[in-house]
Amino acid sequence: MTALIIDDETQIRRLLRLALESKSHVVREAENGTLGLQAAVFHKPDVIILDLGLPDMDGVQVLKRLREWSPVPVLILSVRDQEAMKLAAFDAGADDYVTKPFSTAELLARLTAIQRRHGSDSTPNLEVGPLALDPAQHTATLSGEPMKLTPTEYALLAQLVKHAGKVVTLKQLLRAVWGPQSEQQTNYLRVYANHLRKKLEASGLEIQNEPGIGYRLMGG
Amino acid sequence: MNPDDNRPDPDVLLAQMRLEDARSKSGKLHIFLGMCPGVGKTYAMLQTARQRMNEGVDVLAGVIETHGRHETAALLEGMRVLPRKQLEHRGFVLEEFDIDAVLAQRPQLVLVDELAHTNAPGSRHAKRYQDVLEIIDAGIDVYTTLNVQHIESQVDIVRQISGVRVQETVPDSILDRAHEIQLIDLSVEKLLERMADGKVYLGERAEHAAANFFKEGNLTALRELALRFTAEQVDRDLEDIRRAKRVSSAWKTNARLMVGVGPSPYAESLIRWTRRAATRLNCPWLVVWVEGSRALTPDEQDRLTRSLGLARKLGGEVVSVTGEIISESLLQVAREQNVTQIVVGKPDKPSLWRKSLADQLILGSGDIDVCVVRPLASGEMRTARQREPVSTTVIGEYSWAIVSVFAIVSVCWGAASYTGYMFVALVFLLATVLAAMRFSRGPVLLMATLFALSWNYFFIPPHFTLAINKAEDWIMFGMFFIVALSMGSLTGRLRLREAAERRRARQTSALLSVTQSAALAAEPQKGLAEALRTINELLHASTALVVRENDRSLPTSAHPASAFQPGAKEWGVLAWAYENKQCAGRHTATLPDSSATWFPLQTATSVMGVLGVRFEGEQRLDFATRQMIEAFALQLALVLEKEHFIQAVNRAEILAHSEKLHRTLLDSISHELKTPIAIINASLEGMSDSPNPYLAEISTASQRLQRVVDNLLHMTRLESDVLRPHGDWCDLRDIIAAARQAIGKPLEVHPVKVTIADDFPLVKLDHTLLTQALANILHNAAIYTPEGAPIEIGVEWYAQQSGPHSPLCGSNVSQPAFRTEDGADHTLILTIRDHGPGLPSGMEQRVFEKFYRAPGAPTGGTGLGLTIARGFVSALGGELQARNHPEGGAEFVIEVKRVPKWSAQSSVRSEPAPKTIRTENTEANTP
Repeated sequence: MTALIIDDETQIRRLLRLALESKSHVVREAENGTLGLQAAVFHKPDVIILDLGLPDMDGVQVLKRLREWSPVPVLILSVRDQEAMKLAAFDAGADDYVTKPFSTAELLARLTAIQRRHGSDSTPNLEVGPLALDPAQHTATLSGEPMKLTPTEYALLAQLVKHAGKVVTLKQLLRAVWGPQSEQQTNYLRVYANHLRKKLEASGLEIQNEPGIGYRLMGG
Repeated sequence: MNPDDNRPDPDVLLAQMRLEDARSKSGKLHIFLGMCPGVGKTYAMLQTARQRMNEGVDVLAGVIETHGRHETAALLEGMRVLPRKQLEHRGFVLEEFDIDAVLAQRPQLVLVDELAHTNAPGSRHAKRYQDVLEIIDAGIDVYTTLNVQHIESQVDIVRQISGVRVQETVPDSILDRAHEIQLIDLSVEKLLERMADGKVYLGERAEHAAANFFKEGNLTALRELALRFTAEQVDRDLEDIRRAKRVSSAWKTNARLMVGVGPSPYAESLIRWTRRAATRLNCPWLVVWVEGSRALTPDEQDRLTRSLGLARKLGGEVVSVTGEIISESLLQVAREQNVTQIVVGKPDKPSLWRKSLADQLILGSGDIDVCVVRPLASGEMRTARQREPVSTTVIGEYSWAIVSVFAIVSVCWGAASYTGYMFVALVFLLATVLAAMRFSRGPVLLMATLFALSWNYFFIPPHFTLAINKAEDWIMFGMFFIVALSMGSLTGRLRLREAAERRRARQTSALLSVTQSAALAAEPQKGLAEALRTINELLHASTALVVRENDRSLPTSAHPASAFQPGAKEWGVLAWAYENKQCAGRHTATLPDSSATWFPLQTATSVMGVLGVRFEGEQRLDFATRQMIEAFALQLALVLEKEHFIQAVNRAEILAHSEKLHRTLLDSISHELKTPIAIINASLEGMSDSPNPYLAEISTASQRLQRVVDNLLHMTRLESDVLRPHGDWCDLRDIIAAARQAIGKPLEVHPVKVTIADDFPLVKLDHTLLTQALANILHNAAIYTPEGAPIEIGVEWYAQQSGPHSPLCGSNVSQPAFRTEDGADHTLILTIRDHGPGLPSGMEQRVFEKFYRAPGAPTGGTGLGLTIARGFVSALGGELQARNHPEGGAEFVIEVKRVPKWSAQSSVRSEPAPKTIRTENTEANTP
């Protein structure tokens, strides 16, 4: 796996390189947004670690420019922990968000997760752990047992399964399940998410709540 | 037909709701209405009040007239009676209702007898009903009594019935304010019986009253009037209810009445008639005054001002236009305002050569109905109909006319032999025209007649006779007469029109100059001073301006540009005008004893202050001047409001700027502090395999450092006001889970028990703030209690008890369909209890102080955690309290009032709301 680190802090880059190379990944570095975008074109990385506070341009800008031509998975690594910042990043197409100070082990796990998911993106993801979806019948089975789902619950679950391991923002979920006019009605979403959570309780699958951002389905 | 036609007009509904709203805030007015004195209104009022008193209502008898009746006086026993206020007036001591005492004592209910009473001079208001209005505006309920003949719109009818002109009246609009009108009815026989028993009026008044007023015929008619009036009110209430319930059948909003009035004594009765008709049709009405070129005499001015004042009081819209031909102007206004019916008075006596106003209107009205009614001159007016006394200037003009005719005739007498008598005629004509430019119409017509006669007598042969021989001389004489008369009259009229035009131009330019000086001045203060000076010059009066402060209170002194400083008494008047958004002071009904008239500077949104005008001498405030002052007041108000907005915008800009600066600073500081910590942490993790014992120490220290930095940044954010809670629906279970996760290790050694109902609703809150606050409290509990001590988290609702006057109750009535979530008056309570040593006693409050650390606390804290938690909770609009649990351990309680909640149970089970777009397979539920 080739990883591109776009960060202006030399020490952070060096540390990340050590950690990634210890897992036998190839590491490329860039110290600002412009160089980062060039490196992304040149090296075709499998995953990008992007800082938001870059000296020449804002990280969200870099992400938007990148998303104009590349679906490469991007993990944001930043000191900014405000909700608005995270939302902006996810809306711009980030795959995950880790705040500094961070745990290296967790960072590596998340990187692997988004990278693996990206690899299987060509065929729509229909299975997470014991959960399998049948898009033709709009039904789901859990460990082979059929699940009792209302149409809305199924639609929500399908969205989460499609992006398993990745945060899906509230806005994206509402838009996909209830339509664009319902973007404000987070209360319904919360209720259905709770219903799903209960139905998945025993399976080891977990619908994680990222406060203020969205939900993430974590495979068991 | 379009089905929408039957839908209630949203504006009407909104107005209705506003009215309800205003009513619920103000006190309730309960009127006991009777046909005449003696039917037992006061008795009924006291009985009802006693009942309320027994129910525990705080009742105060404001003013009760027992008229010496024992039964009534007996009811007053045990009731709190307000002592009357003593007023001294010209050596007499008068007793009056003490409104200030009522407002100070604030009882729940005040009894005020005889609503139509006129207050003694020197009272705050001229009439008692104005006192009552102020009391209900202050939120106090009022019980009052009223006889039907005192209602403004009924005065004419009462006069027709009984021949008595009622002096004390109350406007009909007060009846619209009444929450309930209760008719106290008694049959006429019973009443006469009671009178005979001496229960009605006592003493010498009894006979007088019986002879004049208490005749059986009168009483029956009055009874009918009272019954019918009450029925009309009930009908209108029914209509209101119908509107609110959307079962509208007939909307009479299309109708619109208009009445044209002039300075005639009949105007008042026309206005009352129109108001009655409009009430019955349930439609708006307007009063139009057409200002002609003729200047009004002071008495006419007075009458007009009074009539228009009456129209306003009765709730009509007053429109004044200028125009020479009254009927045309009236019709034009009628078309512009979509009037459906014009009311006009029946002409006094038929005129041969001129059509009456009614005829002209009927001819030109087209599709507008014209209603011709018989007007009644109000009684006092009959005497006022006498000819106005001729002013001294007019007498002077007449004598001037006679003298100049005499002089010109004598000069011409000498010259006639050289020039011939035709030349003389031209000289006379010239003199008439010149005179018309200076004198008014009467003297000019007199001159023209005198010239014609003397020309005939002295100059047309044969001389010294009025006889004329030649036919052409006859024609000449006739032509001269006509030309002189019409020239004189035409020139006179032209001059009058020019004067009116000039007057209007002066008003316009005055308004313009006030606006310009105030609005366009570079320095607003100088501009205002300039505007005040302009007003002073125009009105020949002195003015004072009081501008409100930014917090909407009045300052302690007037604007420096004011021509006079109001004294303590004036200050009370202007404060009243400001509070009540009404004119007050001299020439008004409120506090007329003061020396100046105060106009509120009112814009569409707020009152910016008051403008006081003080005229030197006994000048009266006529309609035109008043209108002009009101226009000035509006201009000044707009200028002040503009100034206010500019200041507000500036302040907001500065604030936004500083906020942005703060945020940038905070961002870069947090970057600088957190990056090194991140590097240390990541490096430590890289060395985690190493057995070196120092590493554990570094790791602990860096975690501590991280916590300190986090807390300091939170604190800075809290104190810099950058915090803006952003409410969103959230599940408290999620919040508790997130808070626990944020703490991590320290909490793992404690068993945590969460108590929350399964069907606990979603709440609308800023979850970041709440999570952070909860995390800080939990962290505190985790580190200050011994390992293994359990921590309990409880979540519950506390519904506020709603009394009969609670906002919850009121809002349910007024806006049933507009609330989607159920009542918002619920309090969210989150309790976090630990089983540690508890808080040091007496220190329950100190734990929230910045950098406070409990004695003997383990190292590693910053003393900021709880301070931040409390800051976050108050940013949410809630409160955080700490106490020791009676069974040991500390207990922290987060209480957030009025949290919107949303329960999923009902809506989710009944329907898959909101509408899902995947409806194609609703039956696809797997069994």
